[in-house]
Amino acid sequence: MNKKKKIGGLRRLFEISIVIIIGCICAITRSAAAAAAKDDQFLLLLGVSPQDEDYYKGLLSSPSSTIKCKDGSFKFSTSQLNDDFCDCPDASDEPGTSACPNGKFYCKNAGHIPFSLYSSRVNDGICDCCDGSDEYDGKVKCPNTCWEAGKVARERLKMKIATYQQGVTVRNRLVEQAKLAIAKEEAELSKLKNEEKILKGLVEQLQERKEQIEKAEEKERLQKEKEDKERKETEEANLKEKQNGEQVESSEADALKNDIHDKIGEQVESSEADALKNEMHDKIGLLGDSSSSQDVMEGHGDSESEAQHGEFDVKEESPIGDVKPLQEDSLLHATEKEEQLTVDGQPGLDTGNQAEVEEDNSESLSKEELGRLVASRWTGEKTEPQTQEVSSAKDKNHGTEEEDAYGEEYSGYDSEEDEHRYDNNDDGDNEDQMDDFGGEDHDDSSPSYKSESDDEPDLPAEPSWLEKIQKSVRRIFQAVTFFQTPVDKSEAARVRKEYDESSAKLSKLQSRISSLTHKLKHDFGREKEFYSFYGQCFENKQNKYVYKICPFKQASQVEGHSTTRLGSWEKFEDSYKVMQFLNGDKCWNGPDRSMKVKLRCGLNNEVTDVDEPSRCEYLALLSTPAVCVEEKLKELQDKLDMMNKEQPTSHDEL
Amino acid sequence: MKESPNLIFHVLFLLLLISPSVFSWKKDEFRNCNQTPFCKRARSRKPGACNLIATEVSISDDGDLTAKLIPKTPENNESQDTPVEVDSKPLLLTISVYRDGILRLKIDEDQSLNPPKKRFEVPDVILDEFLSKKLYLQRLSEEKIDNDSGFSSVVYLDGDYEGVLRHDPFEVFVRERGNGKRVLSINSNGLFDFEQLREKKEGDDWEERFRSHTDTRPYGPQSISFDVSFFGADIVSGIPEHATSLALKPTSGPGVEDGFSEPYRLFNLDVFEYLHESPFGLYGSIPFMFSHGKARGSSGFFWLNAAEMQIDVFGTGWDAGQDKIMMPVDEKRIDTLWMSEAGVVDAFFFVGPGPKDVVRQYTSVTGRPAMPQLFATAYHQCRWNYRDEEDVFGVDSKFDEHDIPYDVLWLDIEHTDGKRYFTWDKVLFPNPEEMQNKLAAKGRHMVTIVDPHIKRDDNYYIHKEASDNGYYVKDASNRDFDGWCWPGSSSYVDVVNPDIRSWWADKFSYGNYIGSTPSLYIWNDMNEPSVFNGPEVTMPRDALHFGGTEHRELHNAYGYYFHMATSNGLVKRGNGKDRPFVLSRAFFPGTQRYGAVWTGDNTAEWDHLRVSVPMLLTLGLTGISFSGADVGGFFGNPEPDLLVRWYQLGAYYPFFRAHAHQDTKRREPWLFGERNTQLIREAIHTRYMFLPYFYTLFREANITGTPVIRPLWMEFPADEETFSNDEAFMVGNGLLVQGVYTERAKHVSVYLPGDQSWYDLRNGATYKGGKRHKFEALEDSVPAFQRAGTIIPRKDRFRRSSTQMDKDPYTLVIALNSSKEAEGELYIDDGKSFNFENGAYIHRHLKFSNGKLTSSNAAPSGAGGNKFSTDCTVERIILLGLSPAPKSALIEPANQKVGIEMGPLTIRPGKSPSFATIRKPNVRIADNWTIKIS
Repeated sequence: MNKKKKIGGLRRLFEISIVIIIGCICAITRSAAAAAAKDDQFLLLLGVSPQDEDYYKGLLSSPSSTIKCKDGSFKFSTSQLNDDFCDCPDASDEPGTSACPNGKFYCKNAGHIPFSLYSSRVNDGICDCCDGSDEYDGKVKCPNTCWEAGKVARERLKMKIATYQQGVTVRNRLVEQAKLAIAKEEAELSKLKNEEKILKGLVEQLQERKEQIEKAEEKERLQKEKEDKERKETEEANLKEKQNGEQVESSEADALKNDIHDKIGEQVESSEADALKNEMHDKIGLLGDSSSSQDVMEGHGDSESEAQHGEFDVKEESPIGDVKPLQEDSLLHATEKEEQLTVDGQPGLDTGNQAEVEEDNSESLSKEELGRLVASRWTGEKTEPQTQEVSSAKDKNHGTEEEDAYGEEYSGYDSEEDEHRYDNNDDGDNEDQMDDFGGEDHDDSSPSYKSESDDEPDLPAEPSWLEKIQKSVRRIFQAVTFFQTPVDKSEAARVRKEYDESSAKLSKLQSRISSLTHKLKHDFGREKEFYSFYGQCFENKQNKYVYKICPFKQASQVEGHSTTRLGSWEKFEDSYKVMQFLNGDKCWNGPDRSMKVKLRCGLNNEVTDVDEPSRCEYLALLSTPAVCVEEKLKELQDKLDMMNKEQPTSHDEL
Repeated sequence: MKESPNLIFHVLFLLLLISPSVFSWKKDEFRNCNQTPFCKRARSRKPGACNLIATEVSISDDGDLTAKLIPKTPENNESQDTPVEVDSKPLLLTISVYRDGILRLKIDEDQSLNPPKKRFEVPDVILDEFLSKKLYLQRLSEEKIDNDSGFSSVVYLDGDYEGVLRHDPFEVFVRERGNGKRVLSINSNGLFDFEQLREKKEGDDWEERFRSHTDTRPYGPQSISFDVSFFGADIVSGIPEHATSLALKPTSGPGVEDGFSEPYRLFNLDVFEYLHESPFGLYGSIPFMFSHGKARGSSGFFWLNAAEMQIDVFGTGWDAGQDKIMMPVDEKRIDTLWMSEAGVVDAFFFVGPGPKDVVRQYTSVTGRPAMPQLFATAYHQCRWNYRDEEDVFGVDSKFDEHDIPYDVLWLDIEHTDGKRYFTWDKVLFPNPEEMQNKLAAKGRHMVTIVDPHIKRDDNYYIHKEASDNGYYVKDASNRDFDGWCWPGSSSYVDVVNPDIRSWWADKFSYGNYIGSTPSLYIWNDMNEPSVFNGPEVTMPRDALHFGGTEHRELHNAYGYYFHMATSNGLVKRGNGKDRPFVLSRAFFPGTQRYGAVWTGDNTAEWDHLRVSVPMLLTLGLTGISFSGADVGGFFGNPEPDLLVRWYQLGAYYPFFRAHAHQDTKRREPWLFGERNTQLIREAIHTRYMFLPYFYTLFREANITGTPVIRPLWMEFPADEETFSNDEAFMVGNGLLVQGVYTERAKHVSVYLPGDQSWYDLRNGATYKGGKRHKFEALEDSVPAFQRAGTIIPRKDRFRRSSTQMDKDPYTLVIALNSSKEAEGELYIDDGKSFNFENGAYIHRHLKFSNGKLTSSNAAPSGAGGNKFSTDCTVERIILLGLSPAPKSALIEPANQKVGIEMGPLTIRPGKSPSFATIRKPNVRIADNWTIKIS
């Protein structure tokens, strides 16, 4: 809503200015000093913006008239208007001079975009307005560069519009796709929930049967044991009679027995430990990467389903899919976490101890170590034994090759500052920059990839699978006669197998349900335009660092084998123009790392820049069609129309 | 070069173990007095232990008084404290007198007796001009003082003073002629001791060990200590650099506070996270003590010595029960003990009697503060580090976007190629010249850092030349000293040698310093020197300099010579036409001639904001007028409240720079929300508004030595209330500024001295002097007042930088005193060149009395042939303390009438009280004129 108002205001401003420009065009293009006598009116209204003209009207009628300062504090007369003395604290009497510290000077800038300067820029010897109107005291000559500068701006605006035009189409497609996909997933979810219900019932039945079988088996076993025991006892009694005088030997045997017993005990213990470990491992896996837990399941999945759904599995195993490295990553994460836990385990003691350790050690350190140690206090850096470059560690935060285009952004009228004014929006500059990339780059060079494949259905799609299970369970129930002893071994095995398979399937189903639910809970934007970001990661390489941005998940910085977490997904901010990742790894002597990703309209999803403007606070730029919105396109087109209309009739220099 | 992952992991693991978490001041890494044998020895001596007497007193051919100091006689040799000095030879004492009442005392070994080595005397500190002011003594009068059995020799000093050498016991003092009242003295408590150099004997163990470091001390003990007494003193001050109060607290005797039992140490050190309240020595050393008392005024004592020094201030009554000596007991006095590890006695006595007289006398010996360029007196924006050109342009344009002026953008160590100074990181700063030129187009300047440690890399031209030519400081075994600093293994340029300084200076030429432009100036950091793996993070004392001088003998002056060489380099670079700007962290007497200093690595805490004021005032008293503290605090992240208060106070520091450690969050002025941005902008604007006044004060310092910011007692010497006040300070004689030093302060209590009233800068409200007032702590500024009877010139128009203010008109604020009078000055020159030295400047004297403002020339007539002119006019004259307001004013000689209206004191949005304002008199500032109000 707000935005529209702004646009309207802006347009009105332009329109009025055009009227003025046509009226005063000769005055502007002539030297103000020379024109002083003739163009009193013009001089009086020097620096007045079109909206303000009404306010000054009263003064123009007669030389003796007075009006109140805008803030009502004082009054001033025609002769005090632009007389280079500040009478109004709010600067309303000096729109065209530097006399008031809080004033604004309006540059008409025909051929380009008009804007208001701080009064501190008026007659300061630096040409600020492209029409040169801010420097009129004759100390410097400012050529009128509006048309030329405007041309560049117009070209860039055109390119930007082109990007937006395509971008809007892509975005619309994205929105459509997202809607379809979401609908499909919602449908799937409800279907899965139904299936879950049925399957759950089956599994329960099977479990019941299984337990019954097991009970029977147990009974059988006890019976057998009893028999065995009785047999043994009689044998032993016989033996005892034989060995009366050989006690020593027997005690030795006891010892041996004990020994063996112990060993068995150990084995039991160790196998228990193994189980525990496995359990832990599983848990860590889950912790490390909860949303990919399903992949982990997949990994342990039964062979049957793998065989059945080969197509999908091929994709998963293919190296292009990049799934493996990611899984490794998550594993690595888990282990890293563990390590950190052990190291940071005692946070309270930690600091003190470390300081002490250092204190104690520093006397026995080599000269070099001591030097590094002391240096590290200021830098917080790690005292790596350096061979070549000491600076290397510190340099790591800096991007290497800045595109030349970037540097040029700052020259002449295209400086950021000016851009801000002309654009009337705070992200124009960067967006323009995106456009430069947007035109040429296409998907092939895009470093984005799918981190997970869970947007593909990973459960059997045919309707028959559930029926099949149901059928086979029914068959079992029919075929197997229970309560018979001895238990039919093959039947028991079938039940077990069927139970195992079904419950595995059930847990798979449940995990799919939970992952889908989890996914659909996310905020994908007003029109779900960010739906396709789910499960994707975008990369950017700067020097030896690879920055990985995985929306809805996390952002990280990878250097070789080490990964630093820059933050976990938090939310969109600033009406979906920024993605925020918070609570990354802790910084030495600083905050937890965090990352903001600014979104710019572009044709591909592409990270174009990563920066660390403040210690451990990262800022990335991601160009994406998801933010190429139609309103903005209109705004840009309006702006271009405006600029085209304002071509000055002559190119006189001031 | 890839390192094996294995190695990296090892390193990482090691680092985890020793990883820095919260560091703070490492007390144990620095020696205390007890661990410093010479200090321990000197401190344990008892008053009266000195048994030297002066003999063979005479006037030399050079017009000096000379004498020999010898032990009294062997017969009263029962002193147990000091073992019998077997090697004791007569010491040579020389007293010379100079104009302006200055007495110089030298005591050294007699070179004709062939001591093992010539002791070090610090060169290039005392001005030749001063030496030429020597008064040749003609005769000597002898008299008996008090009930002495022996004689005293008396010499006349300039003014109404006399210098006295008492023979037995040996004592030197200065007294007022006529009444015989003492001013200051040496060895009145008999603590003088001079360890003479001797040959090492079998069994002498001269080595000293501290932590893992061994000092070979090849020349053995050679320390000097003595007591100095300041008569009529209520406080003593000076001897920077310590983070402590302006009036020095006692460190020995009764009344010693917690944490002050160590002597004040003067030993230039790079101290990580220093404490805000401690006698511990920081980055610079000036062995010059200032005394002030209500009864007599001020005096000063300066010992030119560059070795480690320790100074005790005795609490009153420290000598109770000591049966000694010969001092008048009725007089108030402060006794001090001065101890130095090496060197000679070369001491200067300054008699005052006013505080400004003492500064003038001291700076006549060590030099007046250099006149800075105008831009250097404006606001500086610094951070470790502005990473790359993009960052630089971003910060630059944000200042413009928020209409906040700044003049200088700074680049710290990371701008270099691997900490090789004079080079640029080619990736981060590919086009340094273009970058500087872009800023210069807006009248802005840049500063890059150049430190004295040189990376030992054979491909680095500076290292190559320095090592090939033998320009490095040597270690005890005479190899190039190799220490650890930012670049890793480093050597240090031996700037004590004038030839090496000259070589260093040449490195700043545009041809040598590739990527430098005329708008680039220099920052010298780490010049204590900081050596990360050296004893106490500095160079070993047995390292060797030019001429075989040991580092221990000149340690405190190393940074000074480095600063000097750099500053000379910038002068050379501009063919002697461009005033240099070099900021240094280390300093020594004389530093004021070469540039500015700052108080080093402070912390973003209220206590550090608070202590910045006494630290800067102390520097001003000891000659270094151009000084500042890092606004915001170097370490840590200031809360917005603290940052804003720091800007508001920092705007009145002579050197106004914001700086921050690389681990801190960004804190450029616009990062703390709209309101705080506005407050910081306002604070910076205040500085720009007062630039004409500051510049005039810098010139005053340049001519007289009087510092830009001053303790209240420098302006109000008889007001005892001010003696211990170091929360407020004077900017020149016209402004009083009081910091706000607590979080979310509600009220501030301000003592306004004198019998005249004061005008609040915020609203012109009047307050009585000689009273403490309680003010509401407003968020928009710290309390500041204009003193009645002063005229302060301002430039009220806002610009991007001081450069664009060049042509802007002036505002004069006339604060009338009770007799409706006021006076002020205005100094203007081209702001850049040395032409002012030849008379190319404007110096106006502005006086208001009898309803008439007169502007007259204050420059001495016929000052040089050069002329400077400006078309600047006066756009506004504000009269405070005039009622009822007059209607109009008549300008003469133009005979033109101008209106008087009511206007605000400063133009800010919103309502404010208004005052009689002469509107657009438009008189040229350079002309003679009068404006008569009626």
